[in-house]
Amino acid sequence: MVDAANTETLAVELRNIDKSFYGVLANADVDFQLRHGEVHALLGENGAGKSTLCSILAGLYRPDSGEMFMDGEAAAFKSPKDALAAGVGMVYQHFRLVANLTVAENLALGHPDLGIRLDESRLQKEATELGERYGLGVDPSARIWQLSVGEQQRVEILKLLYRNAKVLILDEPTAVLTPQEAQALFKTMRQMAEEGRSVIFVSHKLHEVKQVSDRVTVLRGGRTVGGVDTADAEPRDLARMMVGRDLELPTRDPGAPPGEPVLSVTDLRVQSDRGLEAVRGMAFEVRAGEVVGISGVSGNGQRELAYGLVGLRTPTAGSVILGGNDVTSASVLQHIKQGIGYVPQSRLGMGLAPGLTTEENLALKAFRDPPYSKAGRLVQSAFRDEGAREIEEYDIRGVRPGLPIRLLSGGNLQKALVAREVELKPIVLIARSPTRGLDVGATEAVRNLILAERARGAGVLLISEDLDELLALSDRLLVIYEGEIVGRMPVEDASAERLGLLMAGQREEAPA
Amino acid sequence: MSTRRFIVEPRGLASPWLKLLVPIGSVFAALVVGAIFLALTGENPFSVYKEMAEAGFGTTRSVAETLLTATPLILTGVAAAIAFKMLVWNIGGEGQFLIGAVFASGVAIWLGDGAPAYVALPVVIVAGGIGGAFWASVSAVPRVYLGTNEIITTLMLNFIAINFTNYLIFGSTSPWRDPEGATFPQGRPIPDGSRIPEFFERLDYGIFIAIALAVLAWYLLGKTRWGFQVRIAGDSADTARYAGIGVSNKILGVFLLSGAYAGFAGGLFVAGPVGALDPRSLILGLGFTGIIVAALARLNPLAIIPVAVLMAALLNSGPSLQSIGVPTATVTMLQGAILLFAVAGEFLIQNRIRRPDKSPNTAPSSGEEASPA
Amino acid sequence: MNESWVVELAFAAMVLGTPLIFATIGEIMTERSGILNLGVQGMMLVGAVSAFWATYNTENLLLGLVAGILAGAALSVIHAFTSVTLRVNQIVSGLALTIFGTGLASFLGQAGSDPLVGNPAPVVFEPLFSGGITEWPIVGPLLFGHDLMVYVAWVVAGFASYYLFHTKMGLSLRAVGEDPASAEAAGINVSAVRYAYVMVGGALAGVGGAYYSLKIVPTWQDGPIGEAGWIAIALVILASWRPWRAVFAAYLFGAAGRVQFTLQTLGEPWSNIPSTILAMTPFVFAIIAMIVLTSGKRARFLGAPAALGIPYFREER
Repeated sequence: MVDAANTETLAVELRNIDKSFYGVLANADVDFQLRHGEVHALLGENGAGKSTLCSILAGLYRPDSGEMFMDGEAAAFKSPKDALAAGVGMVYQHFRLVANLTVAENLALGHPDLGIRLDESRLQKEATELGERYGLGVDPSARIWQLSVGEQQRVEILKLLYRNAKVLILDEPTAVLTPQEAQALFKTMRQMAEEGRSVIFVSHKLHEVKQVSDRVTVLRGGRTVGGVDTADAEPRDLARMMVGRDLELPTRDPGAPPGEPVLSVTDLRVQSDRGLEAVRGMAFEVRAGEVVGISGVSGNGQRELAYGLVGLRTPTAGSVILGGNDVTSASVLQHIKQGIGYVPQSRLGMGLAPGLTTEENLALKAFRDPPYSKAGRLVQSAFRDEGAREIEEYDIRGVRPGLPIRLLSGGNLQKALVAREVELKPIVLIARSPTRGLDVGATEAVRNLILAERARGAGVLLISEDLDELLALSDRLLVIYEGEIVGRMPVEDASAERLGLLMAGQREEAPA
Repeated sequence: MSTRRFIVEPRGLASPWLKLLVPIGSVFAALVVGAIFLALTGENPFSVYKEMAEAGFGTTRSVAETLLTATPLILTGVAAAIAFKMLVWNIGGEGQFLIGAVFASGVAIWLGDGAPAYVALPVVIVAGGIGGAFWASVSAVPRVYLGTNEIITTLMLNFIAINFTNYLIFGSTSPWRDPEGATFPQGRPIPDGSRIPEFFERLDYGIFIAIALAVLAWYLLGKTRWGFQVRIAGDSADTARYAGIGVSNKILGVFLLSGAYAGFAGGLFVAGPVGALDPRSLILGLGFTGIIVAALARLNPLAIIPVAVLMAALLNSGPSLQSIGVPTATVTMLQGAILLFAVAGEFLIQNRIRRPDKSPNTAPSSGEEASPA
Repeated sequence: MNESWVVELAFAAMVLGTPLIFATIGEIMTERSGILNLGVQGMMLVGAVSAFWATYNTENLLLGLVAGILAGAALSVIHAFTSVTLRVNQIVSGLALTIFGTGLASFLGQAGSDPLVGNPAPVVFEPLFSGGITEWPIVGPLLFGHDLMVYVAWVVAGFASYYLFHTKMGLSLRAVGEDPASAEAAGINVSAVRYAYVMVGGALAGVGGAYYSLKIVPTWQDGPIGEAGWIAIALVILASWRPWRAVFAAYLFGAAGRVQFTLQTLGEPWSNIPSTILAMTPFVFAIIAMIVLTSGKRARFLGAPAALGIPYFREER
């Protein structure tokens, strides 16, 4: 559907774009219009299809069906190289920079127009000029690893400008920037737009979208939900478009009132891989027999929070009290022994050993003690018998003797993972996105296991981006944004709008 | 989308037949390659191979010799297998073997004639293991504490060990050198009390010790708590850490154990058929051959036993080739070709090749989120 | 004269170091693309025997060189196939090729009714210049007294250095060895690059081997190159993966074997240093360099290409 009021040619137009991966629809019938000289925000939750759409535009993926037009002419990109030749480039969340090479060398890498000889002084001069012009100053002779993340991002943008990209796609660029750096970036974006270039800005943060974009397109569940001029858009409306439906409140048994706190977190601070603070002074508690859900768009500190709670990363400040014991700086093993269970987001990368059998994986944490081992020796019959019992009880299908567990389907992998954790009868169970990517049956099974833990009297901390999951299971909800808790409410008080706004960074007036 | 003629994708579960077929196929393919070169130089491959088979297994005496050579190969093979399974690339088995021999012969000489066999022999063999572990630690410690890549360090240490062993006998008057070797420097014979007794021709009890140690390795890796942790860490270091397993000390342990096994091989060899620190009889490439044995046996300690015997037969057939005018280097060529096919064959076990079908992508049951939204 | 042993030693070092220059620079180029080739020893040996055989039969040195290049490259193609296409373990593949190459070279030297063993090469690399300038003190023999290949080695080093650090293709090569995913994203065909430079490495190893059989040990025998291939692998590290440094490292350690004779002529206490200890030196230094250079910040500047030895799996579209 072409906007009838617009008579000028669109920089980019996508029509009816479909894209699936392994049977899962990532983009369905998506229409998108990008004008010349505008900053266009792409808004949506995780899994809404934003990255897929951008990757199609940038030539990384080919759409299953649909059409693409650039400046009114049909276009189809077979590779990112094609896209770049046509003037479309993307800055990914994981930079494609060669760490050991200099800025100038990274700009030159793969550049089609350069000659055989590398004229370093010319490259450096051009890099400096480009940087100055757009407010993206970097030392061209510096190696990438010497630069801060913000500076590295500048190099990625410079790469695109050096190839004279007309359409630049930035995927969640402010996730790695300080507020000051983010402001500088917005200035650059506006400057590029004023020159006639177009910038697509993927984000989940409403205040940014409001600040820098001309128009907003919202994606949800792989489809376009709406395209509006930013000036006309209310945050509330945007949030509702992002989150979408009226969420059903749970109809489960409220159960016994929660007991004593089993997990107390005070002023917790945990660093990210890059050494920045990802968890910035969080405080909350989880009581026995309750499920506390933490909702938030991924990348706001959830991973670091989980690692800090289970001992995979030592917090830089604050304390974690588990069942009365201070485990703040305890080892992972001590955490396990003190009764913490953890269902990580990465099933085969962390929660399970992909090459080992299902029985072995089910014993992954319990193997040190009887019945699995006696005096340092493994008791094979225990592996077999306990394994068989658990496979039966938790309905883990597809298991054959000697089969590496990685060959099981996603649902069965997760059932095995969760089964193992609950068999340990933890005091506190931390679960990250436990039903992500699972089919209906497996989702049901895993949800029931979590509720069973709740009934048993464990405290459950559910960290997820899936609002349906959170609402179905939680008693209380916390919202995480940029490493802090920005909202607390009992589940009855939750609504799509309220959660959407908090997750997108809009603070509430009254303290929760 | 570009159409490819065939698709290569990871195989789910390889059948036991395939796992047996690839090693056998590797040997066969190597024999074919060898046959081509033999034929090109005017030899009859069949008669050459027949001669080799007879040299390895033809008479009871040759069987004894084959088993004698298999003794250190079992251990250097297990040494390589233990390490490689854990993704520790210890290619220093050659050097660890030699330093094990140095330690073993040194302790034997120091114990002297007085020590009774039931004391001397275990001590000497253990000394071999300590020597090998010590040599491995020179690579292991930087690997674990500094992250230094062990491929180069273990490789270089081989040549340092070779030269050092030569130095002990040819370059100095060390205690290892025979004071009575008037005309030509040679290793000092170790006392009888420290020699492993023979029981059939030259075959000594070392073969049983080697087999026992191989079974022990199989047991340690497969049946103990420690071995379980090692296997988890070798499979996925992140998962191991998640489960509270200390990955660094497992790497260290495996590395040292691997070195120890190579050292045991050196100790058994020097206390067995060689009887002295004699460089010419010790520097035979047994450490490198152990890698071939491990690769062909697909890193399984029990399978290494028969594979080592086969490889030993191959090694021993060299001299007999000389008598029929064929270069002994044929043996080396075949060894290299076997290893090459074995490692390339691993590709077939891990992957399968098929024609692309018209139907949309079927999910490769991975369980991870399929779409990067 | 007193200083004659210095000149003599330096001269020998340059000659003995020349094959190491070729092999080391070849391996530098291979490793710069991210592939570890432990088959250098085998490739040098097949190069040596092929070059010898070609020159023995044609009395032409150039054909010998070509044969050496082709033999080394042919063996290295196998390594490229297993490492880049099959993506199996590079360490084991390289070792296999060394074992195979060693056996093959020895086999070819001994096989047939009229084996090569024991025969002298009909032509060897002779010094290019004579008289006049070669008799100038010190500089004369050292700069002008050499045969063609010594000078070719310098040219190769200069070219490799320029190529690696000042050309677009050299930049692509370095990127592939550091971060193949990013290189691929920038439009570079990682597989093709790796194949190419593995073969370059094999070809240069073959040249190094040819120099042994057609100059240094010009009568064919088993194992004419000693441990040269292994030393070359060590020299790559000592040279911090830079071609010009390889020249100096090669000259330094090329003399390791020769030094023993010099020490003899100097008498006590020098003549007491055993040759075995001297032979160890390149390896000891390589280990020290490995440990020192590849940890910490220094590693970034002087260390190995980051993706060395790691098979590259291209992402599916």
